[in-house]
Amino acid sequence: MPKVTWMFEDGGEVFADVKDGLSLMDAAVHNGVRGVIGECGGGLMCATCHVYVDPAFAHLTGEASAMESDLLDMTEVPRRPESRLSCQLVASEVLDGLVLRVPSA
Amino acid sequence: MKIEDQAVASASRGCPYSGLGSQYRAFEHEGVHEFLARARQEEPVFYSPEIDYWVVTRREDVMAVMRHPDRFSASTTLEPVTPFPEELSRFLRENDFTIEPVQSNTDRPKHTRIRMAAGQFLNAKRYASYYPQIKEMIERDVAALKGREQIDLIADLAYELPARIVFLLLGIHDVDPRQIKRWGFNRAALTWGRTPPEHMMDAGRDLNEFFQFSRALVQQRKEQPGDDYPSKLLEIRGGNDEVLTENEIICLVFGIMLAGHEAVTAAMGNIFHALLEQPGNWARLVDNPALIPSAVEEGLRFNSGMFNWRRRATEDVVLGGVTVPKDAKILVSLGSANRDDRHFADPHTFDPTRANVREHLAFGSGIHVCIGAPLARFQMVTLLEALVREFPRMTLIPNQTPNWIRTICPRGLTTLLAYPNGVAHA
Repeated sequence: MPKVTWMFEDGGEVFADVKDGLSLMDAAVHNGVRGVIGECGGGLMCATCHVYVDPAFAHLTGEASAMESDLLDMTEVPRRPESRLSCQLVASEVLDGLVLRVPSA
Repeated sequence: MKIEDQAVASASRGCPYSGLGSQYRAFEHEGVHEFLARARQEEPVFYSPEIDYWVVTRREDVMAVMRHPDRFSASTTLEPVTPFPEELSRFLRENDFTIEPVQSNTDRPKHTRIRMAAGQFLNAKRYASYYPQIKEMIERDVAALKGREQIDLIADLAYELPARIVFLLLGIHDVDPRQIKRWGFNRAALTWGRTPPEHMMDAGRDLNEFFQFSRALVQQRKEQPGDDYPSKLLEIRGGNDEVLTENEIICLVFGIMLAGHEAVTAAMGNIFHALLEQPGNWARLVDNPALIPSAVEEGLRFNSGMFNWRRRATEDVVLGGVTVPKDAKILVSLGSANRDDRHFADPHTFDPTRANVREHLAFGSGIHVCIGAPLARFQMVTLLEALVREFPRMTLIPNQTPNWIRTICPRGLTTLLAYPNGVAHA
């Protein structure tokens, strides 16, 4: 059950223990993280769960797939090297302490 | 906790025919927001004997339904709300009307397989490749209204445009978009309306003609592939039924020729209505066009074009404290969820600057979320940008009685008359 932190540009943050196997988009929606909408429920259709992964964790979250990468090109707030769709990130012990930054529109 | 207690209390009244449900008029749109506000407060999940559906009104419960596709099957999504007479069912069976669930009304795992295939064409990146052409079309449509004293925002703009955009995706150049609109309207009325029995057979023949048009289009693309949706689906299929069958492709094409325009026409009209019926909204966009994308989101929230959507319970399930039995049909009111004051402050006010303006459920939510949403948004934003720029003084013609289409799902206006250059020209 990793501990995950979502940080906002205004300095606010949300902190939660996330059940193993849950996507970090679902976790964000359950925990009321503003700015993570997850409109398509993880179907790789909408890009409304865009987050920036703290670079220290990039090697643990891996690379975006081709389909995810296509969607990241169309996000509301521009893509950065550390951009990911959080519906594609699955909670597991190795991600304990993960920090995700939520872009502001 | 208090909310739960209220819901349990309403459930324990026993007979599902009691309470608010008997007063619900599923096909009427006048006064619906007032009624639903009361429902959200007093009986947030109620049974409607008029249509034999459980109606879910609070955003939280609507989300619970949409986000649990295994507990709430999509199989009822496109079922005719007024069952077809046997004569019509027989006619369709005997005339190669081989429709099957492919998208909005399929469940997993079939839904996943088909969505992954369709998504290779229906995605934001592909849509963006059409944006320059769409922008040009919109600019032409708006320019054509210059010099007119009076316009109908539905007939002159919102009616045909989304169908012509669907044609772009389908690579159709030689068909009158009004034909597709007629077929689409007819299909929507058969699916969600109360077509009088004497008109059912005619409507059914028309429905089959529409389906056979889709079949012929797929056949033509098989012989002469182009750079369009049916050709791409055929390419993805690669002759392999396990990827996609040919019949599924025909059904996908048939599907986009309804989903691609009917709801967009409705949503556009509703947004115009919201912007023009209250003084100040239009002027606000004229002064600050950067607000337009948010105004579109707020318009989708304020008067959702797809007002309700349907599901079926696959097990006994407690929803808002009420036990909904297995196999019960469920009407999720997206339009009601979008005015739930538990989520949207001051929900009956049109406010494009509200912080959570994008959190409406007008495109649904979860695995069945509208696959065309980015395209619909682009059309609406681009159209509004052109209108606000060209007609900054536009006003509605006073004393119009809104005429909403009588169906349980789409909520749209049939006409909306305006003075494009303001009242000085009246």
